[in-house]
Amino acid sequence: MPGRFAMKVCPDLLSRLSGGVKTVAVTGTNGKTTCSRMMEEAFAESGLNYFANRSGANLMSGITTEFVMNCTLSGRMKKEYAVIECDEAAATKVFRQLKPKVIVVTNLFRDQLDRYGEITHTLANIRQGIGDVPEAVLCLNADCSLTASLADDGLPNPVLWYGVNASAGLKAVPSALSDASHCIHCKAEYEYDYHTYAHLGGFRCPKCGYHRHEPDFAVTKIHCMDERHSEVTLRSPEGEQELSVNLPAGYNLYNAAAAVCASTAMGIPTATAVRSLGRFSCGFGRMENFPLAGGTRMILVKNPAGCSQALEFLSGLQTDIILVCCLNDRGADGTDISWIWDANFELLASFAGRIRKIYVSGDRADDMRLRLKYAGAPDERITVEYSPEKLTDALAGETLPVYILPTYTAMLELRSVIVHRCGGAEFWE
Amino acid sequence: MKLRICHLYPDVLNLYGDGGNIICMQQRLKWRGIDSDVTRVMIGDRLKLSEYDLLFIGGGQDFEQEVLLPDLQSGKDTEIRAAVEDGLTALTICGGYQMLGQYYETYDGVRCDFVGALDLYTVGSRTRMIGNTVFHCTPECGGSTVIGFENHSGKTWLGSTVEPLAKVEVGFGNNGEDKTEGAHYKNVFGSYSHGPMLPKNPAFCDHLLETALTRRYGAVKLEPLDDRAEQTAHDNMFRRLTKHKT
Repeated sequence: MPGRFAMKVCPDLLSRLSGGVKTVAVTGTNGKTTCSRMMEEAFAESGLNYFANRSGANLMSGITTEFVMNCTLSGRMKKEYAVIECDEAAATKVFRQLKPKVIVVTNLFRDQLDRYGEITHTLANIRQGIGDVPEAVLCLNADCSLTASLADDGLPNPVLWYGVNASAGLKAVPSALSDASHCIHCKAEYEYDYHTYAHLGGFRCPKCGYHRHEPDFAVTKIHCMDERHSEVTLRSPEGEQELSVNLPAGYNLYNAAAAVCASTAMGIPTATAVRSLGRFSCGFGRMENFPLAGGTRMILVKNPAGCSQALEFLSGLQTDIILVCCLNDRGADGTDISWIWDANFELLASFAGRIRKIYVSGDRADDMRLRLKYAGAPDERITVEYSPEKLTDALAGETLPVYILPTYTAMLELRSVIVHRCGGAEFWE
Repeated sequence: MKLRICHLYPDVLNLYGDGGNIICMQQRLKWRGIDSDVTRVMIGDRLKLSEYDLLFIGGGQDFEQEVLLPDLQSGKDTEIRAAVEDGLTALTICGGYQMLGQYYETYDGVRCDFVGALDLYTVGSRTRMIGNTVFHCTPECGGSTVIGFENHSGKTWLGSTVEPLAKVEVGFGNNGEDKTEGAHYKNVFGSYSHGPMLPKNPAFCDHLLETALTRRYGAVKLEPLDDRAEQTAHDNMFRRLTKHKT
């Protein structure tokens, strides 16, 4: 990586390069990559001259590399704009040098506790990072009480809010498990007018009065949601917009609202950002399609909140499917796999009749199999296939639609095998 | 037969897949035709432990543990101490395990009094002890080998009236120094092992269930289940974690 070497020679290199670039930074637990790719679509639609980093390169060194690759030999940047995804633990160091014009914080969920530590610690990291860039416009998820608390913290930054209103009626599966059941300010238990998923929704604290802000960009109505896309009404400062999101599942409504909100903050007309989302396709393991078996879709899962959302999406499908769960425990996945017991695999029992076969794979396939067994999945339909090559061979012989839920390194590995077999873009790493 | 489980503070002590222990106990009972129910006791709720056969407490983050201390000290602590002395079966993990001890002293010397049901205390350290673990339970705790995952910065030291749950083969255990893991006192089993602890370690799970059922119904021996999937998961991890050893 040129970035790592360059940082040794010149520790503030990113700071020197980022000066002339108008940057939007995206951080938070889930949705960073999808939200960034959505914004790229809006930047492209507007004809802006931009570059972006990739999800695997979202630490200081990777971001610096991306800037080095986009400057001339004399150190002048070739592009005017940048869309930069930033790891939430790296925000403390990165924001100071990156000096973003706009910062999106998508949400905060428990994630890889062996690596990130406690959720409040991650929040403190992000807050410290923002503290160095008081002029940056914050685009915050109004429905996440942890994220929203960044605005109530004496930070002088202007704030734009996005969220999903109660009127949208986003169906929430009640969860016994919340990452934020008690008030971040006074520790009293929150009351909720409605939940959208996990701890997101219309929260308020009965003791100190901390509550959800009314969003500037709000999904107010859902007209249709199916296995390919959603059509919704988005209320924005520029009026109501009919928004078609070319990705399924409720959590992508948040990613879409965040992308429109932040694109607008970057100076792109809201209507242009909205239009670009209609033909957006994300790729890279995030709801990515492959011409394998009866159509194969890969949904990256990294933590309980994201995994439960993926399972909820599958529970709403109408067709018979083949389910594949790939669990690795390498550094980038988190070495602690106990989070699979916090994800709502019990939901599988509600549509067990439609799951014709289940494959489990990856370094910790055995543990995934146990999770499914104890969730009440039909044990006789489960096959353990440790290797990605043999798994792909087996899938190639299937005719039903396949849904693959892999962790990060399992996704990289399996994706590469599938792409080799049936074509598609190589991963950008 | 029916096992009545009390899950204390499930809304705040729910880290690291601890709920998996509840799922595991209930399923293994159900597969044998034994009923169970789980009562979730939250902050502010009344706690009457004579109504239960098994108490489960999981781990939490520091923020969440601060939330519940005043509630614990408003009467639940005396109730727990009495029930433990009376022989209630309990499984306590990580933060819940520390909480049953005498106190927690942070790295910078601030002491926080805990329940005091177990003769042990915990001192915060600067390094976190994180990783997969292998430990061997004492004969009194069933004698099985447990595969777990630990993530704690507190070092726990056992007093003279409690025994360790197990001897550490791989990992840190209570404090990374004396090779002990967890604690055993009367029918209380405390451990740093989440992962969660029970699904991959069916022998330990059944020992716990038998202990709880025996107290209420007289000697109970659970019939064996088809544990091939559990055993495979256990054995493959055991091999992976111990293979560097000669």
